[in-house]
Amino acid sequence: MLRTPSITRPKSIEDLLEPDLVARLGQLDVASRKIFSGKLKGERRSKKRGESVEFADHRPYVVGDDLRHIDWNLFGRLDRLFLKLFLEEEDLSLHIVLDCSGSEDTGEPNKFLFMQKLATALAYIGLVNLNRVALTAIGAAEGGIVSTVRDLRGRRRLQDVVRWICTLEPGGTARFTEGAKRIAITRRGKGVMVLLSDMFFKEGYETGLRLLVGHGYDLFAIQILSPQEVDPPIGGDLRLKDIEDGDTAELTISAPLLKAYKANLNAYVQRLHNFCAQRDIVHLMVKSDAPIDVLVLDYLRRRGLLK
Amino acid sequence: MTWLTPTIAIIAGAIAVPTLLVLYFLKLRRRDLEVSTTLLWKKSIQDLQANAPFQKLRRNILLLLQLLALAAALTALAQPQIQSDAERGTRHIILIDRSASMSARDGDPEIAPSASAARTRLEEAKRQALELVESLREPSFFDAAAGHRSGDEAMVIAFDTVGEVLQNFTSSKADLRRAIESIQPSDAPSAIASVFKLAKAYVPRGVVENLGFVSFGEPAVIHVFSDGRLPDAGQAEAAPEDKVLFHAIGRPDTPNIAITALRADRAFDNPRALSIFVGVQSTDTQPREVDAELSIDGRAVAVRAITLPAAHYRTGAEASPETGEAQAVRTLEPGAGGVVFQLDRPEAGIAAVRLRPTQGGTDRLDALAVDDLAYVVIPPARRLTVAVVTRGNLFLRECLEGLNLSRLRVIDPAVFQQTVEGKPVSAAGGPMTLGDFDVIILDRTLPEVETRDAAGAVTKGPGLPPGRLLVLGAVPPPPVGLIDEGPGEAALMVDWSRDNPALKYAGLADLVIAKSRKVSVVPGSPVTVLASDQNGPAIVEAADGITRALIVPFDPGESDWPLKPGFVLFLASSLSYLADDGASAVGRLVQPGQTLAERLPIGATNVRIAPPQRDAPVQDLFPAADGRIAYGPLRSVGIYTISWTGPAGSQDIVLNDEGGSARVRRAVAVNLLDPAESIINAADTLPLASAIVEAQQREQGRATRNLWPWLLVGALAIIMLEWFVYNRKVHV
Repeated sequence: MLRTPSITRPKSIEDLLEPDLVARLGQLDVASRKIFSGKLKGERRSKKRGESVEFADHRPYVVGDDLRHIDWNLFGRLDRLFLKLFLEEEDLSLHIVLDCSGSEDTGEPNKFLFMQKLATALAYIGLVNLNRVALTAIGAAEGGIVSTVRDLRGRRRLQDVVRWICTLEPGGTARFTEGAKRIAITRRGKGVMVLLSDMFFKEGYETGLRLLVGHGYDLFAIQILSPQEVDPPIGGDLRLKDIEDGDTAELTISAPLLKAYKANLNAYVQRLHNFCAQRDIVHLMVKSDAPIDVLVLDYLRRRGLLK
Repeated sequence: MTWLTPTIAIIAGAIAVPTLLVLYFLKLRRRDLEVSTTLLWKKSIQDLQANAPFQKLRRNILLLLQLLALAAALTALAQPQIQSDAERGTRHIILIDRSASMSARDGDPEIAPSASAARTRLEEAKRQALELVESLREPSFFDAAAGHRSGDEAMVIAFDTVGEVLQNFTSSKADLRRAIESIQPSDAPSAIASVFKLAKAYVPRGVVENLGFVSFGEPAVIHVFSDGRLPDAGQAEAAPEDKVLFHAIGRPDTPNIAITALRADRAFDNPRALSIFVGVQSTDTQPREVDAELSIDGRAVAVRAITLPAAHYRTGAEASPETGEAQAVRTLEPGAGGVVFQLDRPEAGIAAVRLRPTQGGTDRLDALAVDDLAYVVIPPARRLTVAVVTRGNLFLRECLEGLNLSRLRVIDPAVFQQTVEGKPVSAAGGPMTLGDFDVIILDRTLPEVETRDAAGAVTKGPGLPPGRLLVLGAVPPPPVGLIDEGPGEAALMVDWSRDNPALKYAGLADLVIAKSRKVSVVPGSPVTVLASDQNGPAIVEAADGITRALIVPFDPGESDWPLKPGFVLFLASSLSYLADDGASAVGRLVQPGQTLAERLPIGATNVRIAPPQRDAPVQDLFPAADGRIAYGPLRSVGIYTISWTGPAGSQDIVLNDEGGSARVRRAVAVNLLDPAESIINAADTLPLASAIVEAQQREQGRATRNLWPWLLVGALAIIMLEWFVYNRKVHV
């Protein structure tokens, strides 16, 4: 909740991912509750018959089919042309959306750093599994999109992901709805979309989420809160200043006020949860002091994002 | 409610309240804090404001509590006091005057003072004190069970010249009643200063630096039940926190006629002629005529009428102890009169003088009976046998011949030496022994006597023989004597015991000694210095078991003393002093309340003293080594009879008891003879050193209660509440 006193921004992969975690992340893959069709042939089993080694079926040849797929052995036996159909393995699109607003740059541990680490870990998992990885930062920029990289595949592109993540600087008020609209228009294919944000949008999160869900994307909304937001360690007569828009609130901290704040926070999270549940969005709330390895290796697997 | 120091509180308040407000608003300057979003906070405030109408008040509750605590502390600084009727848990000190004037029968103001049925003042005082005891608050059951003191406690002190604690602090009314009822009247004059000290000693107190004694716990209420005839009230000082209540007893206009002086003297030249002087005072504002009846040994001898002038009030000014301003004081000047009875009576006896109304008057003279009767012991007409051991001294001889002695014998030192050694001597005056003489004067000579030192060796040298001796111009060696340090230069007397009968009229003030004698006293030896010159002791008294001596180390012939009348008077008084075995109470003024100190002849055993009351028990006394006895304090007036077996003094009466053993008797007359105590007009104020206490108007006093401790406790409680509220606000 409070501005992090001194923040060291990550500069390299070592700042974002610990080596032993990297080793363990390699065993994971991004899971989708739906099996989506991909653009390129990937490692993912697709419903489409494709060119993998795994045989699926035969079908009669029609004019225009690729002659390479004709099963000549069958032609010899039956003297009819059949095409061999294989299960096609196709790639999955993993789209990670980071909230780069000023409110993320708070908390102890810093929420944005946590978000960067988590995004790196997820992107790494996506890259090593040859998924098509895209990353988008939503912020105060025109159109709501600060920066974006897309169509990254393979372990080698991890450096690009890390470089991109390290360039991000949080600040300003996120234009979430606008950004979500742009993402919804421009994204291609189908896959998994992970939204990393504290979901504190004064304009409301409903429209944005509604835009992001659908179009064949499986949406995971990971709400990241700092421990200080959950349990404020403040007291006395205060003038609270919103880090994003400079809005102030004068108040004297008292036990009833703290109680009301916590009740409001709970209600906010719960309402978001309900909203997501109604729209087939997976909502996860994590605190920024959660260990990344436990979160990735255990929690996200159990919630179905990873396998 | 009264405020002791309101100004200080107002000044402190004028400083502290604005300071607190400034501090509060300084404190209220809000701390800026950047948060991720104000979304939830604003909503929370709206929620709270919606359902907390006293939110505004809550914000300022800390300031309110601080102001309250400050107000309590400031009020405490002003030291408010309230008067409460219920003297809860108070310590009462009940002082009851039992002095002679409290025996006046005007205690009950409803009855005329002349009525014989009237109560004495002491009875009235006891009645009022019992009423006070009844009004004391009982301790509650739970407090008593828990051992707390919640009820009133009281202590009872009866006093005349000295105070006597009859009951220490207790809340038991039965004990207090018993103590008050046990008070018996005394004939002694009254003194209250020491009684206040006594009462203070029983209140738990501690010493606080720069403050002196302060009492712990609640202050005491001192009740004085008295007629206010307390001459030393100005020296009585109550602790500042204690409250003194004066319950005035008696009527302010009670007249009294009293014997204030009585003395029996024999004429110097004719011991048979006895004069008895009686001094009488009247506090009646009308002239009075009374009869003075003299009886000796119980038989009426003479009656004389005395006319007493009216007493009158004199107005003077006196500084008030509280304000220091002079204020008018009315003092009563009693009318004084007297009578002298002239008798021809050589025998000893006990004379009693009683004042009676004149013929046709009422049967009671006045309200107070104790001072209407006085006794005096008449010494027997007796002349002394004196020996002078000298080589010739004209002055001494002339002076002694001028005294009215039974026999005067001048002895040569050599002849006296033989007498001391017990050899039969034939001299001009016939055979003699040491026992033939009442007093022996050793003029510049000392006989050789055998002394036995500690090892038992017998040595012979100059010393004092047994007997009563007046030594002039010689220094007997210790133990019964002095260390001779040789002749000194001219000297003047610097100090002497003016009360000693031997030196009373000796005229030492302007005595010039041409050749003094330096002597010093062995510490621990039975030697008392009576007079000193620049060099040290000049006249001493030495006494052991068999010898009593007045020693004048310098030679009176080497001074101007023999040329002065004081020398003759010194000889006369020292002879009778030696012959009388010291300060006899015969003819001396002994007052009730005093301690009777008498010197019996050495060797007196089986000593008893009989108080004047017939039913009073006879007490055994044990004299000290030098024959002194002490008895007292004396409670009542009358004749105290001391009797013993053994040698008799010159004025003692030897009687043969039934058992055949000879018992010596000495009578001591104890009389009030106190003009101040005999003025029995009750006072309505008690002028103590600390404050003048007005008499109570027959109502219970109201206790003063200091409120500041409670206010401070309240302030503390508020501060603790504030602390609690502050913590509740800040932490979850």
